[in-house]
Amino acid sequence: MKMTSLSTDQAPPIGVPLRFFAVAPIFIVLAALLLAVGGGNPFADMHSPALLAATHCITLGFMAMVMLGAIQQLLPVVIGSPMPASRLVAWFTFLPLMAGTLLLSGGFMLGKPELLNLAWPLLGLAFLVFIGASLLSLARATAQNATKTAILFSVLSLIMAATLGMLLARGYATGAPLPYAKLATAHISMALGGWVLLLAIGVSYQVIPMFQLTPNYPRWLTASLVPALFTVLLLNLALLLPESVPGWAKYAAEILFWLLAGCFAAVTLRLQNQRRRRVPDVSLSFFQLGMASLLFAALLSLAAMLWPAAHNYLRALSILVFLLGFGLSIVQGMLYKVIPFLVWFHLFRGGVKAVKVGVPNMKEIIPEPWMWRHLWLHGATLLAVLLASWWDAAAWVAIPGLLLQGALLSYGVFTGISVYRRTLKRIEQAEA
Amino acid sequence: MTTIAEFMTAKHGACDDEFAVAEENALDGNWGKTETAFNAFHNGMAQHFKIEEDVLFPALASAGGPSGPVQVMLMEHTQIRGLLDEMAAAVTEKNEQEYSGLSETLLIVMQQHNHKEENILYPIMDQILSKEREALFVRMQAI
Repeated sequence: MKMTSLSTDQAPPIGVPLRFFAVAPIFIVLAALLLAVGGGNPFADMHSPALLAATHCITLGFMAMVMLGAIQQLLPVVIGSPMPASRLVAWFTFLPLMAGTLLLSGGFMLGKPELLNLAWPLLGLAFLVFIGASLLSLARATAQNATKTAILFSVLSLIMAATLGMLLARGYATGAPLPYAKLATAHISMALGGWVLLLAIGVSYQVIPMFQLTPNYPRWLTASLVPALFTVLLLNLALLLPESVPGWAKYAAEILFWLLAGCFAAVTLRLQNQRRRRVPDVSLSFFQLGMASLLFAALLSLAAMLWPAAHNYLRALSILVFLLGFGLSIVQGMLYKVIPFLVWFHLFRGGVKAVKVGVPNMKEIIPEPWMWRHLWLHGATLLAVLLASWWDAAAWVAIPGLLLQGALLSYGVFTGISVYRRTLKRIEQAEA
Repeated sequence: MTTIAEFMTAKHGACDDEFAVAEENALDGNWGKTETAFNAFHNGMAQHFKIEEDVLFPALASAGGPSGPVQVMLMEHTQIRGLLDEMAAAVTEKNEQEYSGLSETLLIVMQQHNHKEENILYPIMDQILSKEREALFVRMQAI
């Protein structure tokens, strides 16, 4: 048996994850600015350039940025196998992801094909490096657990989501005749339903029972949910291929997906309800909001199938709720737990001197009241986004809400980093 | 028959329960109940560490088991003991804010530590120490 996961040196240097976490919130601010300058109500038209550009700022610039950084930190702990060449992989994912996202959003916003043509190879490079390194790390891992399976299927979904995304961006740039609507459906379903959801499930299996002191996820769920979801996603993709498919088959495959996703959300909320740790915990509340949003997104999509007249509208809302309500909530909630812990953990490695100087505890790293304000702001923004699709005035609550969220999160991350730097300096001075 | 992993994992669970009760009471400013629960938790942890440090780790070492993981576990025990001492001081001072921050920190450190023991170290012990398990249980229960 391999015992690598017990070595503390497996964790990458703190700079690896922090650089991803520091830049990510700036993309939320950027998304809000793009929506603000886009003119009109960007939520009223789901195909508006501003909404497309802003969405990619959030999915790539914020969510993927955090997820890529976090996985590099997570793999050694959860599956006992670090990423190969962690510093190199970090730079070759971080820089092209950042540049690629800026160029892609710029390309969408300004309608400039040359920007899109620069963007897709850079994004391809970032994902290729990340996918290669994580598959290698997964292959080397001897641990066998449900989280490992979930990360594997999530990365496989990312391969498809990224390939389809590059194809679409190149298509838009060159004007190539492609089945855009079908490709976009497949891209969204593999990116959100595959990469984001499966990763969230895998991480939840570990994090929720451990840190929220809930019972473990039931075995029937951890053994079958992720493979079932991945199969259903592939089925949904396969049904896009033929020219015409009976309506009931498409509906059945989509209903199955939402039932499985809804089942995960419902079980998670139930476990959280049974938690032994009853004290207020902002990360837990972000997670609960995320799970409730996932259930709501499932209901909206199911309603869209039952109500053809409002089909497109309800589906678009479902995607927004999934992205902002589920994805954004859990990623932000996780950051508020991970950053204080990383700072504490890396400072504590200063040993005896660190203890003498005094390492701040986790609640002295990012001020807690600000995290709670962020949670309320996030809830209000979400509500405004829901209303904004038919009530223009709400867009002017949603956009500043998003902007403030990015600013609050940036403040939190930079406060964490400055506490780290200050304390480290004191530890070093004590050594001198 | 109970395995080392099952026996020790159950002890982790019992400590978690006391931890949660102490934290909840501290945040409610209920210091009498906090002190009772915290002392139970603190003693439980001390007993658990003693079982590992006096019985299991030496047994693993003399059976030729890996020493690296044990070193890491010992280092984390020191970290956890430090946090527990600070928490004890916060209980004496009835300092709610300090207790809550330390408690949050301890939870993460302790849960990561338990996770590694439960998933890696205890299964290794069950493998390597299978023959002397009964004798070890007698010694573990005496602590």
